[in-house]
Amino acid sequence: MISGLVQILVFQGLGELITHFLLPLIPGPVVGLILLLAFLALRTSVNASLDEVASTFSQHFGLLFVPAAVGVVMFWPHLKAHAVAVVVALVVSVVLTIAVTALVLKALSRGSRK
Amino acid sequence: MTAQLTPGFPNIYEIWVYLSGSPLLALILTLGAYQIGVIAYERANRHPLANPVLIAIVLVATTITLIDMPYPKYFEGAQFVHFLLGTATVSLAVPIYKGLSAMRGRIVPLLAALIAGGLTSIASAVGLARLLGADSAIVGGFVAKSVTAPIAMGIAERIGVSPTLTAVFAVSTGILGAVLARFVLDAVRSREWWQRGFAIGVAAHGLGTSRAFSVNAEAGAYSSLAMGLHGVLGAVLIPLGARILGF
Repeated sequence: MISGLVQILVFQGLGELITHFLLPLIPGPVVGLILLLAFLALRTSVNASLDEVASTFSQHFGLLFVPAAVGVVMFWPHLKAHAVAVVVALVVSVVLTIAVTALVLKALSRGSRK
Repeated sequence: MTAQLTPGFPNIYEIWVYLSGSPLLALILTLGAYQIGVIAYERANRHPLANPVLIAIVLVATTITLIDMPYPKYFEGAQFVHFLLGTATVSLAVPIYKGLSAMRGRIVPLLAALIAGGLTSIASAVGLARLLGADSAIVGGFVAKSVTAPIAMGIAERIGVSPTLTAVFAVSTGILGAVLARFVLDAVRSREWWQRGFAIGVAAHGLGTSRAFSVNAEAGAYSSLAMGLHGVLGAVLIPLGARILGF
């Protein structure tokens, strides 16, 4: 568990450094993700500790969103004033996104594979 | 004994002041609310509407409003949880790596679907919000909302819109996606688990992925792959696109 966490933190740190000094366009965690992916591809395996930490994170990913999302209280009056636009845009957009992605996948994989 | 204890024993108010000055209160509030959300989700047989994150957000937002705790003060304590979003994002490399071998031979459809889905997400949300008269602050918050929240907030900072509003929209999108995905996918007759999972991941990032994992392992793996790829591509392409379109 600990060694997996250390690996992830080291890659996160490297990512932040690269973002800060070289690539200001890409967020640090994304650079860290790409570096860790390259590292895993070179080693061609995922060690048990890293796997454990990664699966714990993906199970409770939702918890980590809570502090940022509670920021909704700051925008509450503003959002209420535009409630219809916000709700319609959110709902329609997510439905269309899921539908378009699924349809493109279905259409293209039918042509190339089966 | 009581006589000795009583004068020195701090009253409730002092305890309160002490606790709210440290990160403890915000952390207990955040984790406790999430715990309640998880229990409710299990009790409701993992029904998509009993989303644990939604429950936690409502509980925390209501509590800090009731006790008159300003959001920045809450965030000061809760930032330790928030910080881990970056760490969790890095850890996405693991499911992506594991998904890569399964992805071989499907790269073209997956990338095409990702790009089509990503563009649909931005165009439909920004277009509708504008059409319905939302102001530019709100419209800006929609640009990165289908990307997983930590990356979305990074993108928001870079394109000069509110990271907090972006996070709020990203999380709402994730919850809506987790709730609605099953119905939408059935309606468009998507039957393969890998396709269903990938579609959820493109539209509803981390929260959709948690949902996908709780339904089917293959769907979960493809969903996390979609979330990771969307995050990486979004981080590179959205700021570029915003610059070209002059947001």
